Amino acid sequence: MSIELLLALITGAALFGIGVYGALSQTNLVMIMMGVELMLAWAMVNFVAFWRYLHPDNPAGQMFVLIIMTVMAIEMAVGFGVAIARFRARGSVEMEEATELKG
Amino acid sequence: MNLIIPAILAPFSMMMLILLLRRFPAALALMGAAISLLAGIGLLSNAFNGMAGELILPGLPDMPLRLIATPLTALLATLVAAIGGLVLVYAAGYMKQDSEKVRFFATMLLFLSAMQTLVLAGDWILLLAAWELIGLSSYLLIGFWYRRPGVRSAASRAFLTTRSADLGLYIAAFILISHAGTNDIATTLDSTGNAAITAGLLLLVAAMGKSAQTPLHDWLQRAMAGPTPVSALLHSATLVAAGAILLIRTAPMLPPQTLLVVGIVGGITTVVTGLIALGERDLKRLLAASTSSQYGLMLVAVGAGVPLAALLHLIAHAAIKSSLFLGAGVFQHARESTAFADLKGAGRDRPRIFVAFALAALALAGIPPLSGFFSKDAIIAASLSSPNAWVLASFALAGTLLTGAYMARALRILWRGNRQHRHIPGLGWMTLGLTGLVTLAVILGATFPSIEVLLDQSLSGNPLAQLLGLSAALIGLALGRFIPGWRLLGPLLPWARQGFAIAGSFDTWVVQPAYAIARACEQLERGLYNGVLAVGRAGLAMSRAARWGDERGIDGLIFSLVRGVHELGNRARTLQSGLIHREMAIMVAGTALIFVALLIGLSVY
Amino acid sequence: MTAQLFFIGFFGLAAVWFGVVVFRTFSMVRSALALLFSQTALGALFLSLQAEFLGILQIMMMATEMSILAIFMVMFMMDPGGLGEMEMTHQKRLSLGAGIIAFVAAVAVALFVDWGPVAGVAPAAAQQTVDLSRELLGRSMLIFETAGVTILTAMIAATAVAIQPLQQGGRHEH
Repeated sequence: MSIELLLALITGAALFGIGVYGALSQTNLVMIMMGVELMLAWAMVNFVAFWRYLHPDNPAGQMFVLIIMTVMAIEMAVGFGVAIARFRARGSVEMEEATELKG
Repeated sequence: MNLIIPAILAPFSMMMLILLLRRFPAALALMGAAISLLAGIGLLSNAFNGMAGELILPGLPDMPLRLIATPLTALLATLVAAIGGLVLVYAAGYMKQDSEKVRFFATMLLFLSAMQTLVLAGDWILLLAAWELIGLSSYLLIGFWYRRPGVRSAASRAFLTTRSADLGLYIAAFILISHAGTNDIATTLDSTGNAAITAGLLLLVAAMGKSAQTPLHDWLQRAMAGPTPVSALLHSATLVAAGAILLIRTAPMLPPQTLLVVGIVGGITTVVTGLIALGERDLKRLLAASTSSQYGLMLVAVGAGVPLAALLHLIAHAAIKSSLFLGAGVFQHARESTAFADLKGAGRDRPRIFVAFALAALALAGIPPLSGFFSKDAIIAASLSSPNAWVLASFALAGTLLTGAYMARALRILWRGNRQHRHIPGLGWMTLGLTGLVTLAVILGATFPSIEVLLDQSLSGNPLAQLLGLSAALIGLALGRFIPGWRLLGPLLPWARQGFAIAGSFDTWVVQPAYAIARACEQLERGLYNGVLAVGRAGLAMSRAARWGDERGIDGLIFSLVRGVHELGNRARTLQSGLIHREMAIMVAGTALIFVALLIGLSVY
Repeated sequence: MTAQLFFIGFFGLAAVWFGVVVFRTFSMVRSALALLFSQTALGALFLSLQAEFLGILQIMMMATEMSILAIFMVMFMMDPGGLGEMEMTHQKRLSLGAGIIAFVAAVAVALFVDWGPVAGVAPAAAQQTVDLSRELLGRSMLIFETAGVTILTAMIAATAVAIQPLQQGGRHEH
């Protein structure tokens, strides 16, 4: 158990925690998306740390990080599309007012 | 061909014919009686020649049914057929204007065939069956005019009384059969000892019922509610004779103690019913009481140990009493009533009928040379010669006296009074029948010696008996002629009018309890029926409860389940707030749960 | 390896600090920029972890994305400058609790799991890139082809969602 690994992992954990807090507490859609970004960042950090300290010869670790980046891009694209549509339909992207799906 | 068969089957087949054709009832009835008479005469002549006929039918295993034609039985068969035939001739006229002739003649024929079976029976079982059948036909015939008031109860009472006495016959028959091992009457008559004593007493009970002896004499009085031919045939000559016939046939078996009891019962009956006859206000009821009295005399004769005397008196009485009844029937048609108050002077309207009636009455009283004299004489002689002469003879003489008294009374009432003239339909036939029977009543005395020869017995002549009997008869006739009945009876009048009822008599002791039992049975049956209905209703109630339970309970359960699920859905719906942050919170919580589960799973594994 | 350790610690701390700033500031533009810096710090972290390709990629991509994010912020926020100082959070305690629990859980996992032998040396950067490209065009070809199609779909979907619905007469609602 090397200290660098531990440090990297703890950093990632902190980012994850902040991301969860943000995703749950923000009212604005864009802010929620920022929280999601931070959570994904934690995943990336974990992957890189594990690759570097446990399996440096295996490029599959870096592969996965690329995939996560791709996912981040897609998610942002679609999310902003939805935000535009919502803004056009209702005039705001505040999630407090988005109660049309109330059952 | 065995003559027993037509003797019995002729009336029976004629009855079936009448019921099938529903026409010519009188003619067919007469034909049946005539054939039976011819067969009876044939049997009698066979018996004279010493030939005994016998017919064996398959019955129970080891107990075949037997019909035998001994001299005694052949004689009785001829008697039954003769009296039956003459009464049927009379009935052709009597019932001329009745609307239900078919039923009447059919039932009369049923009775005739049953009576022939009874007198010709050779074994107990057949005798029992025939005994029951004559009881049944008596019930049907007494209650012939069932729509008139009081007739049905009279028929039921007669039936119940004789039926309960028949119990004695059943038990006696079973005792004798089990004692002797066979149901042949002749063989069982050899029984001795306790079986004989008990059976004898029980047979006496049965005879008391059928022959209307005290204390069972009441039913005969009531039986006069039936048509007069019925009274003439059944309740004077044949059916009530069955009791006496039973005792005459089983006389060889009866030990002296039983004979004494028989004699005493007969004696008491003679006197009591004679007194009743003196007080009667109805002609037919007087004749009925007289019948009981005469049969009492016959029982005295059997008790004295001379059944032959009883048999002779039976034959004579049959002819005499039936002719008396037939005469009474003519008077009844003339005055539309049988009460003495209405019949005063009825004799004067129809002198010829009255002469016939008077001849028969004198014969009954015992005036020579009529048949009644010889038979009465035989009885008194027998009673004098018996070991208990004092008791029996005094009974016999008292009976003779009373006979004269009430017959004279009847004659007096019939003669004295106003004349009425009314046309009686069918008088020709009635006169014909009556004449025949009166002739028999007069001349039968001449046949007695040949009967003695036939039966191989003889009567001892006793001049003292003749003297006593004749004087008793004459005194009785004088008393009845000159002194009214109520004065003769004196203090006994109200009791006599009531029929000498003792402690409410048979009515309260047997009939009312029987009715009470019948009512109780009906109540029980109704209770059971209601019980069954209640069970049915309970079943229905259960089914209703089940349906209620199903509708409320099970359906209710299911519906409440449905409602519960609805509620749950409603509650769960509120989770769907549409607010993204809430949903994300739920998502986080769920993910945490999955994570924990995975962790536990992995650590366990 | 102290230098590496120092850099990891420094850039990690920077990333975390900027992450906190994202949600604490009232200004939208500033939170977008804070996120940008946080992601950049992460990229530098990758670099310090000797994942050079990834690091560069991260910095480049995130810079672009976050700028676009800033533009969207300005478009859609009520108060992009944050001058009103309005509280814009809800279920604060719940999310705070969830965040702390998540952090603690992750740290616990990191601490208490035996990760096995730690490798000391990473391959050279050129070698890494060659391996990565071989991996990409070899074994993981299918994944990226799929990823490519998915990106295309996403682009089309996003465009379709963002297009104005056509009104009658073909006019565009404004």
